[in-house]
Amino acid sequence: MEGKVIVVTSGKGGVGKTTATSSIGAALALEGKRVAIVDMDIGLRNLDVVMGLENRIVFNIVDVVLGKCKISQAAIRDRRIENLFLIPASQSDNKDVLSSAGVERVANELRKEFDYVIMDSPAGIERGFQNAVVGANEAIVICTPDVSSVRDADRVIGILYSRSLTPKLVVNRIEPARVERGEMLSYEDVLEVLSIELLGLVPMDEHVLISSNTGTPLVLQNDSKAGHAFKRIARRLNGEADLPIEVPTHKNSMWKKISKTLGFK
Amino acid sequence: MINFDSAAPVRLKGVGDGFWITLDPSHSEEVLKSEIDKLFGNLKHLAINASVVIDVGDAKGHDDLLERLKSYLINTFEISKVSRPPEKRSIPTERIRQRDLSKGWNHHRSDVLMLRGIVRSGQKIESRKHIIIMGDVNPGSEISAGGDIIVLGRLAGKVHAGFPEDESSIIFALEFRPTLVRIGKTTASGIDEEVRIKPEYACVENNAIIVKDYMKTNPFRKMPWPEAI
Repeated sequence: MEGKVIVVTSGKGGVGKTTATSSIGAALALEGKRVAIVDMDIGLRNLDVVMGLENRIVFNIVDVVLGKCKISQAAIRDRRIENLFLIPASQSDNKDVLSSAGVERVANELRKEFDYVIMDSPAGIERGFQNAVVGANEAIVICTPDVSSVRDADRVIGILYSRSLTPKLVVNRIEPARVERGEMLSYEDVLEVLSIELLGLVPMDEHVLISSNTGTPLVLQNDSKAGHAFKRIARRLNGEADLPIEVPTHKNSMWKKISKTLGFK
Repeated sequence: MINFDSAAPVRLKGVGDGFWITLDPSHSEEVLKSEIDKLFGNLKHLAINASVVIDVGDAKGHDDLLERLKSYLINTFEISKVSRPPEKRSIPTERIRQRDLSKGWNHHRSDVLMLRGIVRSGQKIESRKHIIIMGDVNPGSEISAGGDIIVLGRLAGKVHAGFPEDESSIIFALEFRPTLVRIGKTTASGIDEEVRIKPEYACVENNAIIVKDYMKTNPFRKMPWPEAI
């Protein structure tokens, strides 16, 4: 059976596409699937650093698309998680070296070898984004509860629909305390505007920063809330569509809820 | 042979259950009375208890003359009722009523562009007609219509109704919070106040755009009957 190519995109930069790509990929591999993570941000390579594989790069996705090497040569195997592979971006080229047809061909080849191919799209909606989307079967849109991020996500969703992809939504960096104080949009507000299927809610977590900088997968840290959320997202992607979505809360609000149900004010 | 040009001073016609007298008030009262005598004399018993309409055509005044003729008719020929012809309706009203009766909208080609679904950021909808959107209009999108804009959902984009300069257009939404509103040549920016979820519409009054509660000041309540647009 052929695998799926999933593109992770957002429109706006810095909302957590790379973190989401590496975490969802790692979590799917932990579920026992064969996973390739592809960095499509040509010229601004990040995914290798986040995954802690930067010093093992020989070939990259540009070499694969241009036919300079085989997929198996460019794919770096992760030592900690079995069945997890990274195909890095090129840092020296720019986004125009890839042609849509070339990316599509490579995506089809990857589909035969892996259960899941997860593509990290660059920010924006230009050439790089178009290339990342061209070979995808599914799309995940990452957005944070900011007005600007929501607007960009909305634009991207429109473009994805026009390419017959039905995107699913991950709301990242939710800060329950701020939501409660009304300083941040709630995930309901975001969903109301975007109105697409929700795949998961990820709370703000400082483990993300640490794991990105040290190159350790988030999902391997058991006490990471964000890692836990990404694991559930991966399970939902991997067939457990009915897995309930956990809404991030902070302790205070838990007590408030309990006291509310008990009738205290 | 009937001479249509030089009409007799008094003419008689049967109308429904009575008679219609057309008389020329420029003749003297005696002439008119003698003419009436002649005509009603021929009618004999048919005139008894009949109702009569006296029509002087376009001539104005002559109320005294008509009053005297009225009593003369009633006393002499036992007519039950004498009246003046009913006022003619003004032409436009008549035309609208006719259109109403014939259900003109059955053959009406719509002047409305009707869409359903979400209008997302970056999308632009332009039409020289009215636009109706069944769904939300998200921030970052643009809508421009030659006529009205009606959004059955949340309106949060940039809207221009009455493009290029029809200031009688309105913009309606179930949740009205656009970033920028233009009607014709008048512009207003969106308001950042607490969101009120109720049907509202914007229109131009005294060169300014005003947003009103639709349920309280429905602009179409004044219209006496439905009209196709």
